[in-house]
Amino acid sequence: MKQMRLDDAAAVARARGGDQDAFRVLVERHSRSIYRLAYRMTGRPEDAEDVVQETLVRAYRQLGRFESRSNFATWLYRIGFNCAIDYMRAKPRRESPEADDTLDRLATNDGAPSVDDLVYAGEISARVQSALEALSPQERAAFLMRHYHGCSIEEICGALDLKTNAAKHSIFRAVKKMRVALRPLMDAKVES
Amino acid sequence: MTSWHPTDDDLVLRFYRESTPEEARRVDEHLPACGACRAAWTELEETLRLVDAAAVPEPDAGFERVMWARVSAALPARRSAWSIRQLAPILAMAATVAVAVTGVYQSRGSVVAPAPVKVASAGRAALARERVLLGAVGDHFEQTEMLLVEVLNGPDTGSEFTFERVTADDLVASGRLYRATAQQTGDLQIAQMLDDLEAVLVELARSPEHLDKNDIASLRARIDDDGLLFKVRAATNDVRVRQQDLMTSEGPL
Repeated sequence: MKQMRLDDAAAVARARGGDQDAFRVLVERHSRSIYRLAYRMTGRPEDAEDVVQETLVRAYRQLGRFESRSNFATWLYRIGFNCAIDYMRAKPRRESPEADDTLDRLATNDGAPSVDDLVYAGEISARVQSALEALSPQERAAFLMRHYHGCSIEEICGALDLKTNAAKHSIFRAVKKMRVALRPLMDAKVES
Repeated sequence: MTSWHPTDDDLVLRFYRESTPEEARRVDEHLPACGACRAAWTELEETLRLVDAAAVPEPDAGFERVMWARVSAALPARRSAWSIRQLAPILAMAATVAVAVTGVYQSRGSVVAPAPVKVASAGRAALARERVLLGAVGDHFEQTEMLLVEVLNGPDTGSEFTFERVTADDLVASGRLYRATAQQTGDLQIAQMLDDLEAVLVELARSPEHLDKNDIASLRARIDDDGLLFKVRAATNDVRVRQQDLMTSEGPL
């Protein structure tokens, strides 16, 4: 497809004019990074896929609002976080036998994890994801934007429609919960 | 050595480079002189480094193609050929209402922490983690207490409980996290208290949006019968005293 060579700005301009092939370029270029964001927000692949789809459809509908001097990926992330928050609020929290089991299993491991466990990335990922799931949607979005995407407090306020103090406190609470959740790994690290 | 110590929140702001220059200077000057705060800083850095290490499972190789199929099926049918006349008002509207996205998220790259300080002793690190747990649990108990007070003192009939339900739902999630950690670290009293609170929080989180008189009476009776308000206040005090003791025992190196 010729449009595969389009940069984001050119693809957006064409997509605004109704060129769906141009929009396809954007979907194929950005859907994977939106998936990572959505997975961290929802914690489940199938939910993450739904969020990616909704994000891209919403982006298509809002292309007219996109300012061409802005960064398209940034704009898309902003829509993605808001879609994920809406999705999580609309979908009742699963009564989480899975999450409970995970936490219980993590918490009641006989003794601390060994050094091998510590370097086992899956363990860290599971704990981090469990901790993320214990955050409210707003805390989770603010923390992820700050920690993984390097957004400033001001940018987080703009994206999530929060006042400065609310954004800061969302991050403070999130970090506090992450520290508690990861404490067993830290203890084991010190012991080893 | 001054009597001022940065709070955990001050350290988080410093880590994410969100402190004012004056606040940053104050923290940077304090850390080398205070073992307890240095331990807290090191623990924060190491914890957030673990967060960086968490991987997200990659979707299958054909993900983009599958996603395009899903997205294209959901797109509006129009868009074959917009005329300038159709496009003009939309562009004009966009010019006036477009959201100002000024940040360049990705260009910021990964988080870079300020210059590292020397690793604190294991004992101090454990105390720092203990302080974090107690702080988090204390806040959790206080929020739960406020929620219970709202339920007990709210209107008797026709109440909309949306805020209380959402708050209870969040507290259930965070309470489970703290309970799991408290169990592992042997803090069984805290774990038991969190367990007791969870039952009523789950009931509140699952309640209908509009509670009638009987529902509210039943919920209040549950809180009263279990003496939860008293228990949670006592637990909060206990945690705060332990926190204070911990701060006192830490002191300078």
